[in-house]
Formats: sequence, C-alpha cells, structure tokens
Amino acid sequence: MSAAATGTEAMAARSERARKREEAAIARKYMGRVPWEMVAWGLGNFVLWLSIWPLTLAGILPLWAAFVLSTVSITICYLPSHEAQHSIIATEGSPLRWLNELVGHVSTIPLLLPYRIAWITHKQHHAHANDPELDPDHGNKGDTWWQAAWHGIEARQFGARDGYRNALKRSDDPDLGKALREGTILSLSYYAILTTLAWTGFALEAALIWWLPRHIAMTYIQIFLSWAPHHPMEETGRYRDTRAWKSPVGTILSLGMEYHVVHHLFPRIPLFQTGPAYYELRALLDERGCPNDRPD
Amino acid sequence: MRFVRSNAALTAAGPILFGGAFLAPLIAQSLEAASLPAPFGLEPIHFGLALGLTLGVVAAFRGRWV
Repeated sequence: MSAAATGTEAMAARSERARKREEAAIARKYMGRVPWEMVAWGLGNFVLWLSIWPLTLAGILPLWAAFVLSTVSITICYLPSHEAQHSIIATEGSPLRWLNELVGHVSTIPLLLPYRIAWITHKQHHAHANDPELDPDHGNKGDTWWQAAWHGIEARQFGARDGYRNALKRSDDPDLGKALREGTILSLSYYAILTTLAWTGFALEAALIWWLPRHIAMTYIQIFLSWAPHHPMEETGRYRDTRAWKSPVGTILSLGMEYHVVHHLFPRIPLFQTGPAYYELRALLDERGCPNDRPD
Repeated sequence: MRFVRSNAALTAAGPILFGGAFLAPLIAQSLEAASLPAPFGLEPIHFGLALGLTLGVVAAFRGRWV
C-alpha cells in the first residue's frame, strides 16, 4: 500500500474537527510564553542603530562599517514588530501589553514602517494571502527572487498603486486615521532629518546609514518574508497559501521564514518556536497536503 | 479628506523636493569625497542642484524614480 493511500485513509478516518483539535493541541504547547529574545532584539537593535549615528558622525566608526551595520540592523528590525503585531509578546489587557506596543512602535522606525500601518496591512495579508486583489504582499509575486525584488522596488515608487496603499484604502480599521497620521509624521521627520544632515555636510552619512540601507533592507525583507514563503503565490486557503521550504542561504539569513506555514496557521506562535512546532505538526500538515518543499 | 489631499500634493512635489533637498548636496559631497571636479567649471553644489532637480522633475513626470 502506498504512503499516499495510507494518508488518505487516515484522513478519512478522522473528522475535520478532530484533526483541527490535534493541530491546535500541538500549537498550544508552543504559545503563551513571552518571547523575551524578541523584546531584547527589537529594543536592542533600535538602540544599536541609533548608536551608529554619533559613532559615525564623531569619526569613531568608519562610514563603510556604519553602512554594513545599519543595513543589517534595518533588515532585522521588522521581525520583533511582527511579533508585536500578532500580540505574541503580550495580549490586549495583559500587564505587559505596554511592552508589546513599545516593541511594535519602536523597532520599525529605521524602516519607516509605522506599527499601526504594518498591522492594518498585515492583517489583510493573513486574511487574503495570495489573493491577487486583496493580499497586499501579492505585488512581490515573481518566478525568481530577482523578479520579486524588482517588483518590490517598483511597488515602492511614489506614484505606484501598490498593494499596501490599496489595503489602506480598503481598510475600515478604527485606527486607520491614527495610522496614516503616524505614517505622515514619520515620513516627514525622515525627510527633514535627511535634508538637515545633507545641508550640514553629512549627506554621505545620511545616504549610507539610512537612505540606502533602508532600500536594501526593504528588498531583502520582501524577498524573504513575502515572496519566498508564499512562492509561487498561486493557491489560496488556510492550508494552501504558504509553505514549508528549505532556504539555500539557511534559516538565519532567511530570517526564520522556512516554517512560515506554521505562522499562518497559528500566528500566536513566536518566531523561535515555529521550527520545533513545524516538526511536531509535520505529519498532520502532510496529511492536509500543505505545500512542503523541505527534504527533511 | 483634507489629509488625503495634502498627502497627494506632497506625493506630486516629493521627487522635486527630494532632488533639491537631498540629492543635490549628496551629489556635491560625493564629488568632493571622490576629489572629482564638477563639470563645466561649476561649484559642486551648483552641479548637484542642477542634476538633483533635473532627476526630481523627470521622476515627477514619470511617476517613478526607476
């Protein structure tokens, strides 16, 4: 008897409700703890990024090193905010909620991505993943990573009608007004800081510590957080719209996104637990026919 | 709605402002850092303003930088 036939029979033998109960029971084991490593990552990384400025402007840190450090720092700044968006650090009404919100708001300042805008658009990604009209991340679709990168750059052009702007237009979130005001204030502050630095003799520093690293980071994030885990972005549905995959550059350089299927099924599981949860859920996910490109 | 309109106006003028306010000194200081003279005997900042604003105007008309 083939493995596929055995799997089909096993599936038929259990009700949908029973399978969901099994999946949820496994997932619950990985939820509930405060991911302190993400709190330290989010706040520490922001402080690190801020410290690059005085160190470079004072001539202590060479500009090339500042550029490399800043690019890495901005690239990794999104993930702690992502944990906060899903209330993984602390749920609403819990004593540490302030910390969840602090990490969410602070960590993505270098990326110029306000927390509320990130959450309003990210909610729509989860609700409509891979839907060409409704998924704000669908603009990163491409046959190859470089096509995805180029589509991401195109979508960031000021006149582009990209998925994020459309998602904000569609949104009826009660925090939308506040989110847009925060976005405008953050953007205006960014351009004011760049301009002030540029006209006071620090244009190269502004360009190589913030402007260029941010663009590189945005492209990297879009490849590894939007494109790779959902590639080829053809199917929709809870068990079909994302995948487990083996990254050619490893788990760390792919920002832990190899187990993204777990995140979409159970968004409250912290990033560092998605790997272990995946291996425990794997048989159930294979039964479901979830896309899986991992050899192990 | 007023907020949306002001955002749209900023978006339209943005590339020209960016070209003059940021790209111009960036071009000038890049030339100086590389010890390169500005063409046509111009001061680096004048060349930066000419090139930065031109790039900004072109981007504003095209609706995109690249």
